[in-house]
Amino acid sequence: MSQVPRIEAHQQWYFKGIFAGLRLTLMKLFSNLVANFRGRSHRVTLNYPEEKYQYSPRFKGNHVLTVKKDGSLRCTACMLCVTHCPADCIEIVASEHSDSEVEKYPIQYNIDILRCVFCGFCEEACPVDAIRMGPEWQTPSQNKKSFIYDIEHLTRRPSLEGGVPSIVDDRERWQEGL
Amino acid sequence: MSQSENSSMTSMVKCTINGQEIEVPRGTTVIEAYHRMSEKIAHYCWHPGLSVAGVCRMCMVKVEGVEKLQIACNTEVRDGMVVSNQTAEVEEAVKWALDFHLINHPLDCPICDQAGECGLQEQYMEFGRYEPEMSERKVKKKKVVDLGEKIVLDSERCILCSRCVRFTDEVTKTNELGIVQRGDRSEISTMGKKLENNYSLNTVDICPVGALTSKDFRFQQRAWLLKESSSICPGCSTGCNIKVSHNEKGVFRARPEGNSRVNGYWMCDEGRRMAISIDKKNRLLQAFKYSSSGEEELAAGAAAKEVGELIHNQLQEKGSRGLGLVLTGQYTCEEYQSSLEFFHGRLGSDQVFHWLNNSDKFEEFDGLLLRGDRNPNTGGLIQQLEGLKLNKTWEALESELMNKEIQILIVAGPEVQEVFPDLKNKMNLFARVKNLIWLTTHPVDGFDQLAVPEEGAFYQIPVKSFFEKSGTWVNHQGVNQELKARANIVSGALTLDQIITLWAGGEIRPSLRSKKRSVSNELIKERGNWL
Repeated sequence: MSQVPRIEAHQQWYFKGIFAGLRLTLMKLFSNLVANFRGRSHRVTLNYPEEKYQYSPRFKGNHVLTVKKDGSLRCTACMLCVTHCPADCIEIVASEHSDSEVEKYPIQYNIDILRCVFCGFCEEACPVDAIRMGPEWQTPSQNKKSFIYDIEHLTRRPSLEGGVPSIVDDRERWQEGL
Repeated sequence: MSQSENSSMTSMVKCTINGQEIEVPRGTTVIEAYHRMSEKIAHYCWHPGLSVAGVCRMCMVKVEGVEKLQIACNTEVRDGMVVSNQTAEVEEAVKWALDFHLINHPLDCPICDQAGECGLQEQYMEFGRYEPEMSERKVKKKKVVDLGEKIVLDSERCILCSRCVRFTDEVTKTNELGIVQRGDRSEISTMGKKLENNYSLNTVDICPVGALTSKDFRFQQRAWLLKESSSICPGCSTGCNIKVSHNEKGVFRARPEGNSRVNGYWMCDEGRRMAISIDKKNRLLQAFKYSSSGEEELAAGAAAKEVGELIHNQLQEKGSRGLGLVLTGQYTCEEYQSSLEFFHGRLGSDQVFHWLNNSDKFEEFDGLLLRGDRNPNTGGLIQQLEGLKLNKTWEALESELMNKEIQILIVAGPEVQEVFPDLKNKMNLFARVKNLIWLTTHPVDGFDQLAVPEEGAFYQIPVKSFFEKSGTWVNHQGVNQELKARANIVSGALTLDQIITLWAGGEIRPSLRSKKRSVSNELIKERGNWL
């Protein structure tokens, strides 16, 4: 015959359990309090937006379209970024360039940044270093339309200071005999 | 006939290809035997519809008992031949042949339209995968050469397989293209002429690399973002088998699909243009009602139901005498059948008219594919009408329209309107009735300017194009060809069948067929087999 043990009065209160669960939190709380009074803070929380975190240079933030040495767009509209984009957020309209050596270039390059998942596949897929993911990440805006970045924004927004040069140059490649 | 069959039976030869035995007629080349067995063999210059050139040296095979490797395209099958292209020797030979092809090839795959369906890419992944050993610079040639209204040439990408040259020599016999210069400076040229015959875009299809590109498709889409679906060209009564490349953004190109009984391997440029004109941007998306109170936009189903009520009121008041149906040769046999069943069988009307657009030119033929009868299903319509012994002449319709005996005229309008040169005159003639109902895929130019009589109403109702419905077309030879619904381009449009169902008082049930998205990579594999 089994017997269900009666719950004792001290077991009906959960203080012990609560404190056991919050052991680490409370330890940090008290140690931080003490450290704060001594002027040595171990807090990881930042007082955003007054304080900002410095991400690593490899951080994948908002996209940048690079430019050639003459300032024109590096992108050749090969659509490999479109093909690989898992969020389907890139839209390119290609056209014939007047210079037959350039041949193909995008007349529209739109990134719907709200759909983007910042995976960086576009950067990886690009054969000519035309798209990179930059360090920017806090880019609020007023309406939905301004979250669709066009060529102008992606290449020459004020923070890029006149455009980011690409490392792949057709003329140099041609001179190397490639 | 039987004699030749007998002789061909006796002239069969047996050979072994990659370990499998096959029997082929005498005179068959080894590459044809490979093709027949669907065995893989690398090749660029050989095409089943063209003569043998033997210039690419890619289709090397090892024939047992022969010391050197042979090219499969120019070697006939002999009895007891044992052939293989799976030996290390052959693979080595193909690799080197490919290396030579790629010496001066620019490798601008990212901007090349052929990428994704390119022979060089496929063979490189199959046999190549080597490090380039050339230390010399590539020979630069002209990049964007305008060959006429439809085609652009990139000499650098050309591997001089001469398929396009042979096509203009042998198929169209127009001889526009040739190879000029010597050695590594050789290139394709028109010598100042323009490549502008009605079959010129076939050269783009057969080009195994991206040297020839068509202007209307150039830079529009990448090959791997497109889905290819088989269909039939709506341009004339030949009924060429085609593959239409499309995706959710639109319909981009039409290319021929081999069918030795109908079109061989080719199709004409006009047919391509007409086939892709079903794109959404050219289409009628909603039904329109024009009456004395103005223009009204409404859903196709609602418009069809209104017309159904008009028909029933007319029947109760005056019988079927005041109804008329005009059919063009651009619908499917099934649609003719259901509309005739409703009109002739159920309503008892014999006022069915066949709108012949240019019967005087019906016998015209350009010697290759394009026929004077520019309707894809005149054969089917004539069969259906003869089966029911409906033979009212066009004059009868004209006199009845003049006498205002017809109150409601339903016109199953043409899908390709440009082949109806008298469309506008006929439209003005039709507009003499009280209610004109025009079923059409594309908006009819000038329809909204017709003078609508008092108490009457004119309707334009959108119908599905050939690419969006299933059915049968009968071509000029009497060959029944099956159409399949491949895409839903205008979701608001109805088929003639559905409109008839609504007129008969039924309801259309939504189709339960699940939409399957095909993986486009699979298509590339399938396509790259030999073209």
